[in-house]
Amino acid sequence: MKFFNHIPSGPLEQKWDRHCFELPLVNPANKRKHHIIVVGTGLAGASASASLAELGYQVKTFCIQDSPRRAHSIAAQGGINAAKNYPGDGDSIRRLFYDTIKGGDFRSREANVYRLAQISNQIIDQCVAQGVPFAREYGGLLANRSFGGAQVSRTFYARGQTGQQLLLGAYGALMRQVDKGGVRLFPRHEMMDLAVVEGQVAGVVTRNLLTGEIKSHFAQAVILATGGYGNIFYLSTNAMHSNASAAWRCYKKGAFFANPCFTQIHPTCIPRSGDHQSKLTLLSESLRNDGRIWVPKKSGDKRVPENIPEGERDYYLERIYPSFGNLTPRDLASRQAKFQVDAGKGVGPTGEAVYLDFKEALERRGKNFLSEKYGNLFQIYEKITGENPYEKPMRIYPAVHYTMGGLWVDYNLESTVKGLFVLGEANFSDHGANRLGASALMQGLADGYFIIPRTIARHLVERSSLEEKKVKKALEESVKEVQKRLDKVLQIKGGKTAGAIHRELGYLLWEYVGMLRNEKGLIQVITAIQGLKDQFWKELFIPGEQHYKNAELEKALRVADFLELAELMAQDSLERKESCGSHFREEYQSQEQEALRDDEHFCHVSVWEHTEGKKALLHKEPLEFKEVSLSVRSYK
Amino acid sequence: MLLKLKIWRQKRGQKKGSFENYEMDHLSPDMSFLEMLDQLNEDLVGQKKVPVAFDHDCREGICGSCSLVINGNPHGPHAGSAVCQLHLRSFKDKEEIWIEPFRAKAFPVLQDLIVDRSAFDRIIQSGAYVSVNTGQAPEAHSILVEKAKAEEAFSHAACIGCGACVAVCKNASASLFVAAKVSHLALLPQGKVEKKARVLKMVKQMEKEGFGACTNTGACSRACPKEISLHSIARMNREYFKSIF
Amino acid sequence: MRKWFFLSIGQKYLIGLTGLGLALFVLLHMLGNLLIFAGDKAYNLYMHQMVHGKAAFFIQVGLLAAFLLHIILALFLSVKNYFSRSEKYARQASGWKATAWYQKSLIFQGAIILVFVVLHLITFKFGTYYEVVYEGKTIRNLFQLVVEEFQKPVTVLWYLIALLVLCVHLFHGLISSFQSLGLSHPRFDFWIKKLSFGYAVFVTMGYVSLPLYVFFFMTEKGG
Repeated sequence: MKFFNHIPSGPLEQKWDRHCFELPLVNPANKRKHHIIVVGTGLAGASASASLAELGYQVKTFCIQDSPRRAHSIAAQGGINAAKNYPGDGDSIRRLFYDTIKGGDFRSREANVYRLAQISNQIIDQCVAQGVPFAREYGGLLANRSFGGAQVSRTFYARGQTGQQLLLGAYGALMRQVDKGGVRLFPRHEMMDLAVVEGQVAGVVTRNLLTGEIKSHFAQAVILATGGYGNIFYLSTNAMHSNASAAWRCYKKGAFFANPCFTQIHPTCIPRSGDHQSKLTLLSESLRNDGRIWVPKKSGDKRVPENIPEGERDYYLERIYPSFGNLTPRDLASRQAKFQVDAGKGVGPTGEAVYLDFKEALERRGKNFLSEKYGNLFQIYEKITGENPYEKPMRIYPAVHYTMGGLWVDYNLESTVKGLFVLGEANFSDHGANRLGASALMQGLADGYFIIPRTIARHLVERSSLEEKKVKKALEESVKEVQKRLDKVLQIKGGKTAGAIHRELGYLLWEYVGMLRNEKGLIQVITAIQGLKDQFWKELFIPGEQHYKNAELEKALRVADFLELAELMAQDSLERKESCGSHFREEYQSQEQEALRDDEHFCHVSVWEHTEGKKALLHKEPLEFKEVSLSVRSYK
Repeated sequence: MLLKLKIWRQKRGQKKGSFENYEMDHLSPDMSFLEMLDQLNEDLVGQKKVPVAFDHDCREGICGSCSLVINGNPHGPHAGSAVCQLHLRSFKDKEEIWIEPFRAKAFPVLQDLIVDRSAFDRIIQSGAYVSVNTGQAPEAHSILVEKAKAEEAFSHAACIGCGACVAVCKNASASLFVAAKVSHLALLPQGKVEKKARVLKMVKQMEKEGFGACTNTGACSRACPKEISLHSIARMNREYFKSIF
Repeated sequence: MRKWFFLSIGQKYLIGLTGLGLALFVLLHMLGNLLIFAGDKAYNLYMHQMVHGKAAFFIQVGLLAAFLLHIILALFLSVKNYFSRSEKYARQASGWKATAWYQKSLIFQGAIILVFVVLHLITFKFGTYYEVVYEGKTIRNLFQLVVEEFQKPVTVLWYLIALLVLCVHLFHGLISSFQSLGLSHPRFDFWIKKLSFGYAVFVTMGYVSLPLYVFFFMTEKGG
């Protein structure tokens, strides 16, 4: 094996503390001699930039948006988990750890997840001190709610805008350091390449998205916090500019990619209304607490919902999972919706939706109750669809929402390239095959505020000093490579837009590497993706040139990387011959359409290594479970 | 449906721009306004023309990237929503639609409909935070916050920093933006310690950026996608006054 | 502290304060005017007291200072505000997001009021000096001048227009002052708005009653 996860020895509870003690310290006077680059200003990137600058490091922070505050963490609605046990309902660090491991279907590392649960409490302290306006009880204490089917109330929230409030807190901390001179900010800059010398980072190459200027930046360490690759599906709940390019460039420079096939599909999104659709909007799954999901019993039934009598409706979740009903976990609810649509029972103009009906709740508890609890969600729905959910049942459909896979990192969050650290959704570390609700914010902030400021020290102390000449040459070469790539895409003078190719790619992935996967489809789709890739490099057309804001050029470069990543995703799905979490292989299911996990052969992280000109190489990092016993999830 | 668009085009690096006419046909009323612009751009690319540059990202009204003025209204005609939440069903068939960028001296136009809002970042940088380093925080429950205060603070903290308040204000004043942040932090015990210095620094930076003064017309609050109340400005004025003592 | 007034919020503060002061003056002045209904003697004696009383000088200086400060700061901010948007919009906001006409034109209302005040002073303060004797004391007979002036239809019309402008200016100005001084609050908003409206209308009605009364019900000889 070419890589080590560096998980410290000792009992689970003491690993992180012991590790913190064993990590070297950087002399305060030496800290400002260290240049660190942070790419991305979401929860992980902003918190890492601020925390590192507070310690005295010289930080350069890049983001593609016009302001660091606009990173897509801003859109997270639900909340953030922590094991504070404020409600006294039996929560603990260990329970949060266990729930996360189990929710991830036993495909994540015990040590990482335990650390995440430990740190969760500090995050809340930090955010409260920053002035994040969390919801409060009448006594002035913090309020909690249960989320995503958890049996304890451990989710802290700020109405439906928790991600926004947490990000604005981290953004404030970041701007404070910008003011103090610890951070230099580069908004509207995209990372184009990673410069590596002798297996160690030397810096990054960026493109100014306004002027097109390509520039290299030296650094002793690079922190990647660029989010997930959900946009590979074209339609997802990600922001329009969320992309995988920075991570993919690092992959091509030697960072390994882990579990690319683990992508989460969220069951309650507003369905697309036609081919013009550019992105999808998520509605909090809390709606399922009071809404009942159904489809017509007859396939092809095109009557309006009011005209379908009670007896001809199929409340399929309540029927299949009588004990959990409409509250079955995300992956199951999503998959069942797809089964219904595939059986021709889908509703709405596109036939790709199921009903989420509040009629019964309305009769039972009244309009006030609903509007108090879900008012803003109903408003969002009405704004987008023009339909009033108090009068007509909502139409929902699953959509790609989060990617558990990402660049492989060790316990220090360091990738296989020395000095390249990966945080937040961009890494693969904590969520296994499925992420629990309200855990993404927790992980991003744990990585950025509390883990990286500590673990980066080892690299900075132990790194071998590189010859200046070699670093310079590597950076210059990277700039040339980037320019070459730009010239190459700009020279293709075909007739297809990057968007059109992206849409086709999205369609393929959704069909074959989406909620249901099978060997035949995956083999087919790999060929299809390769065909699409050829098409891209022959038939693309980008208007204009590189020296001003050229959204088409940006899009094309991102799509080019998505096309390569898509192949790896399909490859990974093909190799993982089991069903676990978000990854459902039709060959591996029980009689009742339940996932069949294969712990004997697949209790590992699939780690992919890029090889020039050849197929990616698969390594396996075995997962050991000492503290929990592998059980089968059952929600019947 | 058919729409007649008049879109502001301005090349990068040039001080002047002009309106150009585009006609879009066979549009679905369910399309979002930005999807219509996507469609227009795709058509333009098909004709080997340079597409219209505009800022957008989350498309669910929270990132604050969009910066369009539609028929004179920032974010379009509806209250409490950003332009990405606007759909074509809000327009009439064959309607003429003027699309301009946010305009203010402090928000120079960079290209077509894209403006430079870094002035907002510099205002935040000047002091819109609680000075607490990572790891210094006390136990969260040691700070009690009255429920109503927390909710009021939240309603100010909901600002998405889009700049519609500046765009709609006849004076291009950034008062609502600054006041929202001042109010959010002044209402919470965590922000009280630094509140005097904060309001002075932020207001000073706001003036330096070239924003106009507030004349209390309230247009900002009506254009705000998060409907931030005008009372935040009264609170800012109060805090500003108190900062003398 | 010095810096404090160089920032627009400090300046707005002063505009609000002077505005409230001027609003108070306008009310008192109007109440004094109503003495016209009590006949020439009451009116003339009151006006004499106003101009020759012990505090008169200080009040006049204070008034002039407040007036000038109000105008100069407002002008200064208006110029600054005008230039804070170099390129104007091709279309104006409409509907819910529009700015009301009376809010947009505050500075022009001010200009009309300024012209009015100057003309008003020329007409009355520095106008024809009639005399009248009450109990052996010779004082100015302002009553006669007022009656004379408001026999002219043009003057009455001009006063009506100017006073209407003052009404609008007062209405928005009062609400605005409370806001600038940081005194508005969700709990009082409703009342501030009602009060400002009532105040503006009351003051204007009071003023308007005078020229109308004189024009329609009095002759130059009085009564």
